[in-house]
Formats: sequence, C-alpha cells, structure tokens
Amino acid sequence: MEDMVHVDRAMSTEQDIKISAKGVQVHYADTHAIRDVDVDIDDKTVTAFIGPSGCGKSTFLRCINRMNDTIDIARVTGDIRIDGEDIYDPKVDPVQLRAKVGMVFQKPNPFPKSIYDNVAYGPKIHGLARNKADLDEIVEKSLRKAALWDEAKDRLTAPGTGLSGGQQQRLCIARAIATAPEVLLMDEPCSALDPIATAQVEELIDELRRSFSVVIVTHSMQQAARVSQKTAFFHLGNLVEYDDTDKIFTNPQDPRTESYISGRIG
Amino acid sequence: MNEHISSAYDRDLEGITTLIMKMGGLVEEAILKAAKSLADRDVELAEEVREGDKVIDAIEIQINEEAARTIALRAPVSKDLRSVLTVLRLAASLERIGDYAKNIAKRTSVLVEMNPVNGSDAALRRMAREVEQMLKDTLDSYIRGDADLAEDVRQRDQEVDQMYNALFREFLTFMMEDPRNITACMHLHFMAKNIERMGDLTTNMAEQVIYQVTGEMPDEARPKGDKTAYVTDPS
Repeated sequence: MEDMVHVDRAMSTEQDIKISAKGVQVHYADTHAIRDVDVDIDDKTVTAFIGPSGCGKSTFLRCINRMNDTIDIARVTGDIRIDGEDIYDPKVDPVQLRAKVGMVFQKPNPFPKSIYDNVAYGPKIHGLARNKADLDEIVEKSLRKAALWDEAKDRLTAPGTGLSGGQQQRLCIARAIATAPEVLLMDEPCSALDPIATAQVEELIDELRRSFSVVIVTHSMQQAARVSQKTAFFHLGNLVEYDDTDKIFTNPQDPRTESYISGRIG
Repeated sequence: MNEHISSAYDRDLEGITTLIMKMGGLVEEAILKAAKSLADRDVELAEEVREGDKVIDAIEIQINEEAARTIALRAPVSKDLRSVLTVLRLAASLERIGDYAKNIAKRTSVLVEMNPVNGSDAALRRMAREVEQMLKDTLDSYIRGDADLAEDVRQRDQEVDQMYNALFREFLTFMMEDPRNITACMHLHFMAKNIERMGDLTTNMAEQVIYQVTGEMPDEARPKGDKTAYVTDPS
C-alpha cells in the first residue's frame, strides 16, 4: 500500500495553477508582515509553507480565505486569484469564499455539538443538502474521507469534544471538507497531536490531495518533507524560495533556506 | 557555512570528517609504501602494508556506523545530507584503494623471488606517486570544499591511464622477448592495473566532492585514456 502512495507522488508533474498571488502585501497597523509575495500554487498538490515564527507564513495563508478581514488593523493589498477569479473583488462574499476554501487550525476546535452536527453544520447553512438523506450521505462521505468513519459511526450523536485530540482534528478536517471545498488550508494541523495521530493526519493529507489543493503551514520540516510536493520558505515577510520539496531539502538555492532547514544559526 | 544550533550535531559531522581524513592518510601511505616495497624489494615493508589494511577496513566500518547514526538521529537535509552521503562513498572508495595497495604488496612478496624486469619498477612507482598525489589533492579538495581542485583531479586521471597504456605495451614486449619473463610480467601487469583502478576510484571520489560542494554530480564525460582494451599484437 505504501508503495502505491509513492508511485502516486512521483506521478505529479505538470499541474494546473489553482491559486495565483501577485504583489501581496499585508500590514498590521505599522507592521509590514508580508512583503510583495508572488506565488502560484498548483491544483491537486500539497504545498507547504515553512519558516521561523513571525515570518508571515500563517498571515499569508489567512489571506487565501480572507481570514485577515476579521482583524481590524490588518490591511491586505495585491492580487490573489483562485481559478483566475480575484477573491478580494468587492462582489465576492467572504462567507461563500470560505465554503470554497476550507481551513483547519492548529488546535482542534470542534463545535460543542454532536459529531454529526459538527460535520452537517456547513452543508446545512450553505444549503448543500436537499433533505436528511442527502445530509446523512455528506456526513458519512466526509467522515470517511477524514478517516474517522469507522471510529465514529456508532457514536454520531456523542459530543465532538469527547473525542481524542487526533480524532478531534480529523473531525475538524471532515467538517472543513463537508462543504466540498476546492482548497484546504491547514495551519499547523498536527502540532497538538501525538506521532500516531500525526501520521494518520499526514496519510489523510496525502489522500485529500486527489481532490483538493492543500496548503499547509508547519513548523516541522520533516512534516513538510513528508507530505508536500512543493515547499515555500518565508523569512521576515518575504517569500525567499519556492520550489519542488525534494529540491528544497536536497539542494536549496538560497543560503537562508539552507540555514533554516538544516538547523543552523542563520 | 554557519554552525548548527545544536553544537553536538556539528561535533558529529566533524568527527566523521576527521575519520575520513585519517583513513585517507593511511591509504596514501599504503600506496607509497607498496610501490616502495616493490622498488626496494623490501618484503618487510610489503608485510607492513598488508597488516595496515586491517586498520583501514576498521575505520571504514566505524565511518559507516557513525554515518548511519547521524542519519537516524539528526535526519540531515540539504548540504548536511550530501556530506553524510559523501563520507559513505568516500570511505567505500578508500577501502577499495587500500585493497589494491594490499594486493600490490602481496605480489611484491612473490616478485622478490624472481629476476627483476628491466625498468618496470621505476615506472610503476612513478604511476603510484601520481595516483597518490591525485588522492592527496582529492582529500584537500574535500576538506576545503574546493570543487575546482576536485575537477582538476578528475581531468588528471587520463595521465595515469596513459602511463598504464605504456606499461601494458612494455610488458607485452618483455614477454615476447623472453618467455621466462611471463610470470613476473603478469604480476607486474596486475600491479599496474591495480594502480590504474586506484586512479579511477580517486576520480570517483573527486566527483563525489563536486557533488557535496555543488549539489550536482558532474555529468559531462571525463576524458578516458585507457586504450588497452583495444590492443592487439605489438608491431
């Protein structure tokens, strides 16, 4: 089975561009958090953002589904397009955008509701299910995709908060994919999980790549190396280097990337 | 290159580099001693080379273990990963070169019982010196991270090949002149071939150094000078 995953990984060569960002700048009041970032993110690919704390990688991730709109002092300029469509166009409804661009956070944050309702919530408010049978199907499909169905199917009415940490994170992933998004953003999804749960979530990320464009922010270089096909290294708000993951980890071009990934004082 | 945040990691990598340099020094010495033992018909020196090979083999095992430990504990990436891969290959090549030196020493012990063949000892010794110099430069290029010097070594292998071609023809002539020379010449030819192979292995090491420094293996074909595969009767 593991061999099949590797074959699949090796096959990803030429990809369509899903997200295209040009000249993106982000200011938090007087702080210039993102400096003129240009990046094209491929469809059906896992892209990892790495870099030291405060380098702007999470800030940039949050630009992709306009999460920075919720912060009063944040100001985003530049151009970000998904499938060629400007997501900062005044006509775009951020709520609709976030249905299309799902997000999973560092700490599992299930709603204080049942497992079923956690997953059904998104499809319900976006009107994606016509009836109860439809909704049941979406819930089952999402839980299966998130590799949680077998563990959760007999306790769908139990509260989501009663699951283990790793299960809660997979529930959050199921919730994020229930609205059939096209892009999945993950902000350090495994940093609160043990190695087994981490391996399960990583395996899941590799599965999800078949259906979505996945962008993951991680502090674990080994995780970036394991799950992603493309890696972007951020430093002091700049995108320093963006290339195939194996290139970044065997022969990076920028000395700042080299220092960071090899654990040197840079 | 800056230091690692973990100083123990730096110490580990430096420790392996030190082992490579130590092994390289012993192999250089083995080449020179093997050639000298032949020229001086010195059986004791030849025996010293054969004994010395055990130390070289032991260091190779130690390098392999240290490299495996570093991979397991530090998960090296980028330049660090290339360093670890490089020491593994350098150690393997050095071990082979050491074996060839040992083989020359073995044949020396046999050759001293026979009549010397005119002038061949000196030619072999020159060839061995050239290879030893190439190896020295390769080790220097490794420790200094000097890809230009490594490339220079890579180009010099054809000189060794030419020396080998010349000796090959010379041995053929000696054997045709007097069949009583055949046994000695066969041994001498294997010695020459051993030195020629040392040159090839040294070239591989130089290429590995280029990989460590630049991240890419040199791909253009290097000049090859060994033409003996096409030799027919001397005319």
